[in-house]
Amino acid sequence: MKQNSAFMRERVLPLFVWIFGLLVVWEAVSWWLLNVAKTPLAQSKLPYVHEVAATLWKYSGTLLKEGGATFGNAGVGFLIGALAGVILAVLMSLSKTIEQLAFPYAIASQMIPILGLAPIIYGIVRDEQVSRIIISGYITFFPVALNMLRGLRSVDLSALELMHSYAAKPWAVYWKLRFPAALPGLFSGLKIAAPLAVTGAILVELMGAQHGIGVIMLRNLYYGPSHTYMFWSTVLVGALLGMASYWLMSLAERLVAPWQPEFRPKGGNR
Amino acid sequence: MASNSVGDIPFITSAGAEAGPASIPASNNGISSEPGKQKNPRRPLRRLNPGIILPLLAGVIFLVLWEYQVFHRIFDLKKYQLPLPSAIAEAMRDNFSLLLSYTGYTLTEAVLGMLIGSACGFLIALAATAWPRWGGGSLTMVAALNAVPIVALAPIMNLWFGDGIGSRAAIVTATTMAAMAINAYKGMAAVDPLALDLMHSYAAGKPAVFRYLRIQNSLPYVFTALKINATASMIGAIVGEFFFSSRGLGYLLSNSIKVAKMPLGWSCIVLAAIAGVIFYLVVERLEKVFIKWHPSQRA
Amino acid sequence: MSLVATKIPEIQLESVEMRYKTETADVLALHQVSLDIAKGEFVSLLGPSGCGKTTLLRLMADLITPTAGNIMVAGKTAKEARLAQKYGIVFQSPVLYDWRKVKHNITLPLELMGVKKSVREDKALELLDLVGLQGFADKYPWQLSGGMQQRVAIARALSMEPEILLMDEPFSALDEFTRERLNEELLSVWSKVQSTIVFVTHSIPESIFLSDRVFVLSPHPGRLSAIVDIPLPRPRTAEMRNSPEFFELIARIRDSFEGV
Repeated sequence: MKQNSAFMRERVLPLFVWIFGLLVVWEAVSWWLLNVAKTPLAQSKLPYVHEVAATLWKYSGTLLKEGGATFGNAGVGFLIGALAGVILAVLMSLSKTIEQLAFPYAIASQMIPILGLAPIIYGIVRDEQVSRIIISGYITFFPVALNMLRGLRSVDLSALELMHSYAAKPWAVYWKLRFPAALPGLFSGLKIAAPLAVTGAILVELMGAQHGIGVIMLRNLYYGPSHTYMFWSTVLVGALLGMASYWLMSLAERLVAPWQPEFRPKGGNR
Repeated sequence: MASNSVGDIPFITSAGAEAGPASIPASNNGISSEPGKQKNPRRPLRRLNPGIILPLLAGVIFLVLWEYQVFHRIFDLKKYQLPLPSAIAEAMRDNFSLLLSYTGYTLTEAVLGMLIGSACGFLIALAATAWPRWGGGSLTMVAALNAVPIVALAPIMNLWFGDGIGSRAAIVTATTMAAMAINAYKGMAAVDPLALDLMHSYAAGKPAVFRYLRIQNSLPYVFTALKINATASMIGAIVGEFFFSSRGLGYLLSNSIKVAKMPLGWSCIVLAAIAGVIFYLVVERLEKVFIKWHPSQRA
Repeated sequence: MSLVATKIPEIQLESVEMRYKTETADVLALHQVSLDIAKGEFVSLLGPSGCGKTTLLRLMADLITPTAGNIMVAGKTAKEARLAQKYGIVFQSPVLYDWRKVKHNITLPLELMGVKKSVREDKALELLDLVGLQGFADKYPWQLSGGMQQRVAIARALSMEPEILLMDEPFSALDEFTRERLNEELLSVWSKVQSTIVFVTHSIPESIFLSDRVFVLSPHPGRLSAIVDIPLPRPRTAEMRNSPEFFELIARIRDSFEGV
C-alpha cells in the first residue's frame, strides 16, 4: 500500500519486464523443443509465439465473433445470476427465517464442484444458448449472494443508530446506508464470479454446441497438429475473455464505488 | 420414496455435515453446523434447532416434490431428462464400488494438485514479499492465470502431461496457485509495523523476520486460501476429467450424460459434492489445530 | 443571548432504571436516575467507565428503552421526540459515510427529511463555515484529519437544527490540544444555535469548561451521585482554564467521586 504513488515506476515497469521475459522464454523453449530436443508434436505442445500471434491476427474476425457469442451469453447469465444473488442477499438480511433456510445451502454450494453441473444442465435443456445462460447465472448466483450479504452486514452499528436517531424509514436505511456499504462486498463477489461465468459458458460449449469459442477450440484440437496455432489462439482468447471479465468488474468497481481504501492515493490523512 | 433417497444422511451427519441429495439443483448439500458453531459456541443445542431443522426440512420437502415429479410438471421435463431422487439413489447403490474407486481417483488428483499448487503459490508469495519490486510482477502474473478458464487449460495440460493423473494434477496446480499466492502475500505483508521494528531492534536478518514473523502472520491467510483451494481443486479435477480421461468422477459424469444414463451422472455429482465437503471440512479441522492462537478461533 | 436555564424542563427523567440480561448475569447498568435538563442548557454527564453515562445518553436518544421509569423529551416520550426528528447525535467516532463527500455527509439528515437539494447545498456550506471547514465541501471523509472529521459530524448533527444535541464523548479520541480547541469551537457554535446539549465525557476539565451543570455518575450500579453547578460566566474563554475558580471546581468534582 505504501508504494502506491510510485505505482507506475515500481509496479508497471517490472510487470512489462515480466510479460516480455515470459514471451521470450516461451519463444526460446518452443524453438528448443522443435530443433534441439526434437520432441514429437513440439509445436502442439508449445507453439512459436509469433505464429500464434499471426494466427490471432489473421483469424481475428472469427475469433472475435465466436468469443463474442460466448462472452455475450456468459454476460447475460452473469447479470441474471448477480441480480438474483443480490435479491436473495437482501431477503436474507431482512428475514431471519429466509436466512436460516438459504444460508446453509449457499455455504454448501461454495464447497461443492458446481461446474460439474454443466453437462447435466446441458443434458436437461439441450439448448446451447439457454444452458450457457443458466450455468453462468447459477455459478454467479451464490458467490454474489454470500458476498453481498456480508456487505449488507458489514454496516457499522453506530451508522445504523445514526439512521435510527434521524427516524429514517427502513427503505431509506437500505438505500442510503446498507446498499452503498455493501458495494465493496458485492464487487468482490462479482469479481470472483465473472471469470467463473466465462468458464462455465465455455464448458457448456465443449459439451456439443454450434457456436462459441469453446466450439472452435475443440474443433481445432481434433483437427490435430496442423491446426495447433489456431487451437492456441482459441485458448488465448478464452483466457483473455476470463481476464477481460475480471477487469470489467474491477473497472465498474472503480466507477461505482471509488471511495474504498485501496483506491485512495497516498497522502490521504489517516 | 423419500426414505429411499435420503438413506445416506445418517452417515454424513455423523461426519459433522448434513447432506440431503439434491435440494437445490446442485443435487447435494453438505451443511456443516457452522452457523451454530460460530455464533454461539456455548449453546450449540439451542442454536441448532431453527438453524438446522429449517433447512433440513426445506431439503426434504424439495426432495419429496422432486420425487413426486412436481418440478417435472412445472418445467415440462421428462424423467429421462431429470431423473428422480430414488433413481439416483438406485444408481448409486448399483455402482457403489465403481463410484467409490472413481471418487478416490478424483480426490487423489485434487489433493495432489492442490498441495503442489498451494506450495508454489506460497513460494511465489515469499518471493514477492522478499523482493517486492521484481517479485510483485509474478504475483500479477499468477492473478492473471487465475482468470484463465480451466477448460482452456485442460487440453494444454493434456498435451504436456498425457492423459493420466498428472495432467489433472497440473490443471489443479494451475488453478490453486493464485489464491494461495495472493492470500499468503497479503498475510506476509500485513505485519504490524511495530513488530517489524521489534525484529529490527533485535538485529534480525531477513530470513529471521520471515521465520519468526511473516510466515506466522500469514498462517490464517494461508488457511483461507487452502479452504478456497479445497473446493477449487475438486472443480479443477472434475472438469479436467471431462475431456481426456478414462477414469474418475468427471469422466463418468460426462460419459453418462452422453449415453443418456442420467441417474448415474447425477450420482457422480452427489459423490463429488460429498467428497468436496469432506475435503473442505478436513482443511477446516486442520486450521483449528494449527492456528489456535488466532482471534477467529477463540470462543 | 440568554443561556440561563429556564424553568421548563426540556428533558425529564423519572426513576429510570436499565438492566441488561447477559448469558451469565443480570447487570444493573442504571439505578433510579431522576433528573431535569432545561431548554437551552448545556449539561455534561461525567463519570468513570462503566458508570452508565453512555447508557443514559442512549436512553435519552431512544436508541434503547429503559426497563423502568419515564423519559420525557419536550413533553413527549423519547420515541415521539425521535420520530419528530428533534435529535442530533454525535458519537465518539465520526461515523461518516465513506462514499459521500463532506457536504453530502452533512446533508444526510436533510435528505431523509425530504428537504430540497438547493436548500441542502446552501445549508451545508453555511454549516461548514460554522465549524470552520470552508473549502472542504467536496473532499471525502478520509481526506480529513480526525479532528476535522469530528467537526463534520457536529455539522451533520446541526444540519437538521435539532432542539437537542446529544454528544457521546465526541472528542475523546482526539489529542489534548485539538480537544481544547474544539471545546471552544463547540461553545461558539452552541451560542449561535441555542440547542439543548447533553455531553458525555470522562474528562473533569472538559465537563467544567463546557457545561452549565455537571451530572456526576458513579458505577456499580450506575447512578447519579452529584449535580454540580458551574457558575463560570459565559462566554467562556481559554484563560478560564487557568483560573482559581476552575481549579476549585475540579477539586470539588473530584471530591464528589471520593465521597462515593
